[in-house]
Order: sequence, then structure tokens, then C-alpha cells
Amino acid sequence: MRDNVTAAPVVDRLALAMRASHVLVAIFVVAGLVFATVGVAMKDTFFLRLATEALIFAGLALSVDILLGYSGLLSLGQALYFGLGAYVAAVVLKEIPSFWVAMGAALVASLVVSILAGLIANRVRGVYFALVTFGLAQVAAKAVYNTRALGASDGMIGVPIVPIDLGVATVMSNSPAGFFLFTLAFIVVLYAISAYLLDTPFGRVLLAIRANERRVPSLGYSTRNARLAAYVLAAVVAALSGALYPMLRGFVSPELLFFTTSGNAVITVVTGGVGTLAGALYGSVILTVLKSVIGSMTEHHLIVIGLLFMVTVIFLPKGLMGFIRPSIERLIGGGSR
Amino acid sequence: MTAVLEVHDLSVAFGGIRAVDGVSFAAERNAITTIIGPNGAGKSTLFNLVSGLIPPDGGRVVLDGVDRTGEPPHLMQRAGLGRSFQITNLFFELTVFENLRLAAQRLENPMRFLLPVGRSDCALTRVDELIARFSLAEKTSELAGALSHGEQRRLEIAVALAAQPSVLLLDEPTQGMSHADTADTSKLIRGLAKDVTILLIEHDIGVVMDISDRIVVMHQGKKLAEGAPSTVRNDPAVKAAYFGHA
Ligand SMILES: Nc1ncnc2c1ncn2[C@@H]1O[C@H](COP(=O)(O)OP(=O)(O)OP(=O)(O)O)[C@@H](O)[C@H]1O
Ligand SMILES: [Mg+2]
Repeated sequence: MRDNVTAAPVVDRLALAMRASHVLVAIFVVAGLVFATVGVAMKDTFFLRLATEALIFAGLALSVDILLGYSGLLSLGQALYFGLGAYVAAVVLKEIPSFWVAMGAALVASLVVSILAGLIANRVRGVYFALVTFGLAQVAAKAVYNTRALGASDGMIGVPIVPIDLGVATVMSNSPAGFFLFTLAFIVVLYAISAYLLDTPFGRVLLAIRANERRVPSLGYSTRNARLAAYVLAAVVAALSGALYPMLRGFVSPELLFFTTSGNAVITVVTGGVGTLAGALYGSVILTVLKSVIGSMTEHHLIVIGLLFMVTVIFLPKGLMGFIRPSIERLIGGGSR
Repeated sequence: MTAVLEVHDLSVAFGGIRAVDGVSFAAERNAITTIIGPNGAGKSTLFNLVSGLIPPDGGRVVLDGVDRTGEPPHLMQRAGLGRSFQITNLFFELTVFENLRLAAQRLENPMRFLLPVGRSDCALTRVDELIARFSLAEKTSELAGALSHGEQRRLEIAVALAAQPSVLLLDEPTQGMSHADTADTSKLIRGLAKDVTILLIEHDIGVVMDISDRIVVMHQGKKLAEGAPSTVRNDPAVKAAYFGHA
């Protein structure tokens, strides 16, 4: 890559860790493809759709990890953007059944809302940031809950099936395997964009903010701008993921905006591994499987999720990927920096 | 001689305490100007005012002929000011390499802000220079938090210097260092003054007399005296206020 000026080869740990995350995501994709093949062979619908839902929520978890893992910002209200994307897509699709118009609308809405909300939330840090993001999401949830035009507490049903025109092929949103594969690709693209941005000087500024925010301005960076950029990026990722929800389920409900949704995303990231990005994907699968398997046996599946959370925090404090990733790093390490 | 940094009548008060009270001085290009004074004299607060960490109540800060009073720290950095801290202020959970790379990042073309870090050639070249100059080659992959105190203080200077500032503010760089390290570091600082204007806060009076071109003495927020080392050493007011305690 570059001639070595110094004697000892320098290992850029952060770049290495990111490459290890790519490997883990590649494994995830392969597993997804195998799963889809088996699903199609067995003419399954239920599990393919459940897995698609897991992927959609993985996008929300990814957005939480961009904030928590890279900027050290705990958002307890990412459901705001997930729900925003879902509702905007639902409203648009009922008027104009176009996938790209719905996604574009979700993107624009999340940009506008996150810049405004980000200006408010980023005035504070730590616990206060968590509380402000929580509060903003609650306000939005209550507003939707009480808005008749948005279906109030019932939500909105009857979101039509849309064709997703990808140029080379068209996927129907009601095709279990097709939409699963599309969602898998979509979430991987969101992962790739996030991973790319976090591996740039911009991403390093975010890591610096997490490590020692007070020192960052003296390096020539406005921490306020950097944190706002991270917040907006996370919001867009959450909203674009959320926009897929009504396409999968045909409806949206205020629960998408509730604290349970935000809280589950945080649990997903902690279980999967904070600051790994890949952890958001694995964590979401684990959580979705637990929720549905245990949810079918008992109503008290929240207790199980709570226990899972505690067990992870105590025994795998860096989450599943935080535990596995170092071995991958050793495997692929030793190369260039 | 030309002044790179001028401070005019700078003041700030915390509650009732006038931490910095009408201080004026100028730092000449490629010289070492050292601020001395007893604990609580207002030296670090003066640095915070100059580097934009604290907005002043009054007075002016002029850098390279431009009035930059009250500008936030990130803009002061971009205007060419680098600083280190009295209490080691690094990214402890990042490696030495990453600390330096981050600090050198500003040298890179802003267009590369959203390109992979591995392509930041200017920054990476600068990191190599710093690693060599500050004898950190053995430590590049270690976490900053795992370094010895002396190494951390050295890295602290390197980080402040990384973006090639025109003015470098060093707040007690040798604080807590062994005798040998102090000697090495003061020699290093003297060497740096070849291409950067240095404003130094230093307690070790031997170092001060040895490497300073000019000394500003502070006491209770005010400037007590200013001049060449030999002049300041023999100033009766300085003797009473400062050397008397030392
Ligand atoms: N942020 C602050 N809030 C309130 N008081 C402060 C603050 N910073 C400094 N002070 C007070 O201002 C005075 C000057 O402090 P400063 O740290 O500038 O002294 P100093 O000359 O650097 O001392 P030292 O040699 O101990 O580092 C002290 O009385 C200190 O308590
Ligand atoms: Mg001080």
C-alpha cells in the first residue's frame, strides 16, 4: 500500500476490526442465502417473513449502533425514525404505489425531522441525550396515536403490494423469498454505507468524540456538527429500514414508535455487540427468534428478553460479535494496515 | 521580530475570582515565550482564553494579525493554534497511532473527509514523522491509556503538534516527568521552536531559564513582569511573589 518508513509495521486496529465485521456480515449473508434456499424448497412463508422482519429491525439496530458504538450516544428513541419511515411509506404507498417514491419520501422526511430534532437532542449529552431522544419519540408516538387520519391507535391497514423495480428484475413485496432476499441486500447496503462512512476521517472523529469529547475541538472539529451528522445518518438508516415494514406486513401501527421498539433495538445492539455494526444484524435475528419462539409458548416473553439482556451484559459484556470478532481479526490480521 | 500571537488586556472572572486580569503580551515568531507564576496564578486559564475554550470577559486575542477573540476552539485550531493540556488529555482507549492520525487528520485535503482513512496520505506521512521525532516507534500499536506517564506526556505534545500549528501552546509538558525525561523533553521543545512559535507554561525553573526566549510572570491573574530570562530573574517583585515561594 505504502512504503514503510517506520521499522515496526503498524496495525490499524480500527481498520482491522472493520474488516473483521465485513467477514462476519459476509457469513451472515451466506447464512441468509442458505436459509432462503431451504425456505423456498420447503415452500415456507411464515419463517421467510419472520426473517425479513428480523432484517428490517436489524436496520433499526444498525442505526442505534451508529450512535452508541461510534459516537457514544445512547438514543432511547430511534423508533421515532423507524416509525416515521414506516408511516411515511404507508401513507405514500396508499396514494402512489411506487417503491422508490415511498423510499424517497421516507428519506426526505427523516432528513428534515432528524436535523430539527438533532439540533434539540444534541444540546445535551449522556443521560440527558437518552432522555431527550426518549421524550421526542414519546411525543411523536402519542401524536400518531391520537391522529385519526393516521388510523390513531389502530394504525393503518391495507398498504398495497408493490412491485420493486430494480432495473434487472422486479421483486414483489408479497413474495416471501423475493422480498426476503431484497431486504437482505438492502440491509447489507445500509451496513456497507455505514461501515464505509465510519471508516473515514469523519468516522474517526465520531470515535474520538466517544473516547474523549473534550479533546476533539482542539483537533479542529466542531463536535456539535459531527454529532449532528451522526444523528442524521442514524435517523436515515432507521427510517429507510422502517419504510420496508408496511411493505412486508401491509400495515403500520403506533407500536412501531413506542419505547418497546426503541428499547428492543438497544437490547439487540448490546446482545450483538456495541460498535461492531455486524452485531446489529446477528442480534436482531437472535432477538426475533427468541421473541417468536418464546412468544408462541408464553405471554411472558419480555421476561426472557430481559434475562437474555442481563446474561449478555454479565457474561458477554462486549456482546456476541465483541466476543467472536477478535478471533476473526487474528485470522485476517497480519496483512497491511 | 514579528508577533504571531498578541494578547491585549485579556480578562475573565469566575464568580468573584478574576482568574485572568488585564493581561497583555506578544509571542514572537519561532521563539519560546514562557508563562510562569505560582499555582492558581491564572496560567492555564490564560491558555483556555487564547485557545477559545473559555470566552473572555474582555480583551482581544490576535493570531497572525487577525482578531480571533471569542472564536471556538475548533476554529482557533484551524487558524493555526495547537495546544496540549496540563492534565493529560488523550484518547486513552485508542492506540498511539490512532491518536496521532486523528490529530494529523486536519492536514488532509477536506475533500478526503469522506474517503477511507487509509487514503489519508498527508496525515499518515505526518504520523510517521511524529512517531520518529517523539521516539514512539515501539509504542504505535499500544493504547494511549497503557503508556507510562512520561510517554503520555510526550504523546500529548505530539498530538498538539500534529496538525502543524503556527503557534503551539504547551501547558506544563514536563509535569510529573523524571529528571532525565524532563531534560530530553526540554531539548525537544527547544528544537521545535525552529519551525513553530511556542507559548509554554512551565514550573521547573531550571528548564524555564534554559529554554525561554522571553518570560511572562503572572500572579493572581495579573501580569507581574515580562522580559528576557536574566531580567526576570533579577526583578524584585518577581522574587517576592514567585521565587520566594519556590
Ligand atoms: N473553570 C473554572 N471555574 C472556576 N474557577 C476556575 C476555573 N478555572 C480556573 N479557575 C480558578 O482560576 C484560578 C486560576 O486557575 P489556573 O488553573 O489558571 O491557574 P494556574 O496558574 O494554571 O495554576 P497551576 O500552576 O496550579 O496549574 C484559580 O483560582 C482557579 O481555581
Ligand atoms: Mg495550570
